[in-house]
Amino acid sequence: MTPDRRPAYFAWFILPALFLAVALVASLASLLQFGFREHIPGSLKVGGFTLENFGRMSDWVYLRVFIDSLLLSGCTAIANLLLGYPLAYALVRSRSSLLKSTILITTIVPMFTGDIVRTYSWLVVLGKNGFINGGLKSIGAIDTPFELLYTPLGVTIALVQYSLPIMVIILAAAISHIDVAFEKAAASLGASPLEVLWNVTLPLSMPGILSGTVTIFAWTLSAFATPQLVGGGKVNMISNMVYQLGFSNFDFPFAAVLSMVALALVFLVLYFMGLGLRRLERVGLH
Amino acid sequence: MGETFSVSVEGVLKSFDGTPAVNDVSLKVRKGEFLTLLGPSGCGKTTLLNLIAGFLQPERGEIFIENELVTHTPPYLRSIGMVFQNYALFPHMTVAQNVAFGLKMRKVPAPKIAKRVADALEMVRLPHLGARTPRQLSGGQQQRVALARALVINPKVVLLDEPFSAIDKNLRAEMQVELKQIQKRVGITTLFVTHDQSEALSLSDRIAVMSHGRIEQLSEPAQLYRNPATSFVASFIGDINKLPCRLVSVSDAEAAFEFGGIQARLAASHAEGFSPGSEAVLYVRPEELTLLDAGDPAANFGAATVDTHVYQGTHVDVYVRYDDGRVLRARHPGFEAIERFPAGGRVGVSANLERAFLFPAS
Ligand SMILES: Nc1ncnc2c1ncn2[C@@H]1O[C@H](COP(=O)(O)OP(=O)(O)OP(=O)(O)O)[C@@H](O)[C@H]1O
Ligand SMILES: [Mg+2]
Repeated sequence: MTPDRRPAYFAWFILPALFLAVALVASLASLLQFGFREHIPGSLKVGGFTLENFGRMSDWVYLRVFIDSLLLSGCTAIANLLLGYPLAYALVRSRSSLLKSTILITTIVPMFTGDIVRTYSWLVVLGKNGFINGGLKSIGAIDTPFELLYTPLGVTIALVQYSLPIMVIILAAAISHIDVAFEKAAASLGASPLEVLWNVTLPLSMPGILSGTVTIFAWTLSAFATPQLVGGGKVNMISNMVYQLGFSNFDFPFAAVLSMVALALVFLVLYFMGLGLRRLERVGLH
Repeated sequence: MGETFSVSVEGVLKSFDGTPAVNDVSLKVRKGEFLTLLGPSGCGKTTLLNLIAGFLQPERGEIFIENELVTHTPPYLRSIGMVFQNYALFPHMTVAQNVAFGLKMRKVPAPKIAKRVADALEMVRLPHLGARTPRQLSGGQQQRVALARALVINPKVVLLDEPFSAIDKNLRAEMQVELKQIQKRVGITTLFVTHDQSEALSLSDRIAVMSHGRIEQLSEPAQLYRNPATSFVASFIGDINKLPCRLVSVSDAEAAFEFGGIQARLAASHAEGFSPGSEAVLYVRPEELTLLDAGDPAANFGAATVDTHVYQGTHVDVYVRYDDGRVLRARHPGFEAIERFPAGGRVGVSANLERAFLFPAS
C-alpha cells in the first residue's frame, strides 16, 4: 500500500525534526543537571553537586501532590471516557447532521478559545454566585451554595471540559474505523442495539479507548492553568508545585527534580499504553 | 391460506434523496428455494436485501417473513442469517465464539451452544479451527465460518450479498459448489445477491433480474435465457445481437420485417402487439445465427462479408458486416469456421428466428 520508492528529497524532511529534537534534549539535559545542584536559599544561583534533592521527594507534602495529581488525572480520564464515548459514537454513527453539528460545535469549538479564557469562564460558572449555584438557588434546590471553586471536583470538571475535545476526536477516529458490517452482522444474529454496543462496538474501539484515556491522563497530569486558577492554591497539581518552588522560592534544583519525576511518570504511563496496544494488535484489533 | 413463503415483499418502495433505489418491488421467495437477485451495479440489490434484513425501512409496501409482518421490525428480531461481502467476522473473537454469537444472544444454554457450534463447523468442514481467530484463516475459510455463523441459528432465510466477490476465481467456483451443497442439504431458504450472471445461472432455482430498482423478470435460469421478458433481460443475460428493424406485414401466421433492404419472416406469436410499419429491435443470440456459403438458398437472413474471427476455445465468434454497415456476431462450434469463412469473403446468413425475440424500439 505504501509506495516503495519515495522521492529522495524526503530525507531532508528529517532536518526540522532533528532541530526540534536537539533543542528538546538540550533543555532536558540542562533541567536534569539542575536536579543535581545545591539550592542556595534566597538566590537564583545554584551550588555544587548533591543528591539531597532526590531525598526530599519522600517528604509527604510532595508525595501528596503527586498522589493528588494522579487521582485528579485518573478521574478526569475516566469521566472523559464516560462522557466522550457517547458523544463520539453519535458523532460517527448518527444520521442526523443537526446532531452531528451540535456535538462538533459544543465539544470541539471550545478548544479554540484558549486556556486562560476558558478557565476564567469556569470561575464564573463554578463560583459561589456563579451559574451553577445561582441556577440551583433560583429553582430552590439548595439554600447554601455548593463549594465547587477551589475544590478537587471543580478542578476535575474544568479539566474534563478542557480535554474532552481531544478525547472525542481520538474516540471518533477509532469508532469510524469500525466497519458497520460488524454491527450489522451482530444485529442480524439477534443482538439488540445495547448488546451490539457491549459485545461488538466497545471491544472493537478498545485501541481508541486505551489511547484516549492514557493520552488524557498523561496530558492532565501536566495541567497548569486550570488547577492554578480553578484550584486557587487549594488544589495543587505537579505543575503548580513546580511553579511555586521555582518561581516563588527560586528552588530551581528541587523544581527540576519534581519535573523529571513527573516526566518519567508520563513516559511510564505511555510505555504501558504501548504494551496494551500491542496486545490488542495481537488479537486482531487496531 | 395458500402457500407459506419464507419471504414476501409486497409493493416496496425505498428512495434515497428522492431517487427510488427499490421501486415498487414485489417478490415471493418459496421455502427452501435458492433465489438470486441479479443486476448491474447500482440497480438496488443491496438495498432490497437491507430492507428484508431490516437495516432499512421502506416508504411504502410490506415485508413478511414466514407470514409474519416485519416491515418495521428491527433486524435483531427477524430471525435472518446474513453473510457479508467481507464476511464481517468479529476480529476480537475466536472462530468458535463467532459461530456461538447468535446462540448466545438467544440465551441458548452453554452445553447446547458447544454442541451446535461443533456441528456447524463440521458442516462447513472446519471442525478443528474453532480456537483460531478470523485473522488466522484464509479467505475461503473465513467465508465458511461466516456461513456457519449465519446458519447455526436456524434462520428462516439466509441473505448473502455478493459473498464470493472478494475470493479469487478458482476458489470461487469451489465455494459456489459447496454453498449449493450445504444449501440443499440444510434446505435453507436462500436469497443471494450477485452481479455475476454465470454465478446466478449456475446456483439459482430462480433468478430475479433487476434494473433501476425494479424486477424485470423472475423465472428459472433457463427461462431467462430462452424467454427473456424484456429487452433488458435479453441483453443482460448471455451474448446477443441487437438488430433494429421495421415491421412490414403482420398476418395471423407470420410477421415480416425488414432491415437494410433484407426481408425476413418470423412466427406471428413472436410479434404480438406489433403492427406494420412499427419500429422494432430483433434480438438474436450468436448461436442462432449460422453462416453458409455464398448463394446457399437456405440463407434466410441475406448475405454479408466476414469481418473478423474471435476464437473462444470451444467455439468461434465470426463477425459479419452487411452492406449497410451493421455487424452481427455468429457463433460456430469448434474452429473450422475460421478456415471455411475467411475474412473478406462473402457468406450467406441463416437465422433460427424461432429463438429470436422482437421488442419495440425504445
Ligand atoms: N445509503 C444510501 N444513501 C444514498 N443513496 C444510496 C444509499 N444506498 C444506496 N444508494 C443508492 O441506491 C442505488 C442502489 O444501490 P444498491 O447499493 O442497492 O445497489 P446494488 O445493486 O447493490 O449495487 P452493487 O452491485 O454495486 O452493490 C444506487 O444508486 C445507490 O447510489
Ligand atoms: Mg450491493
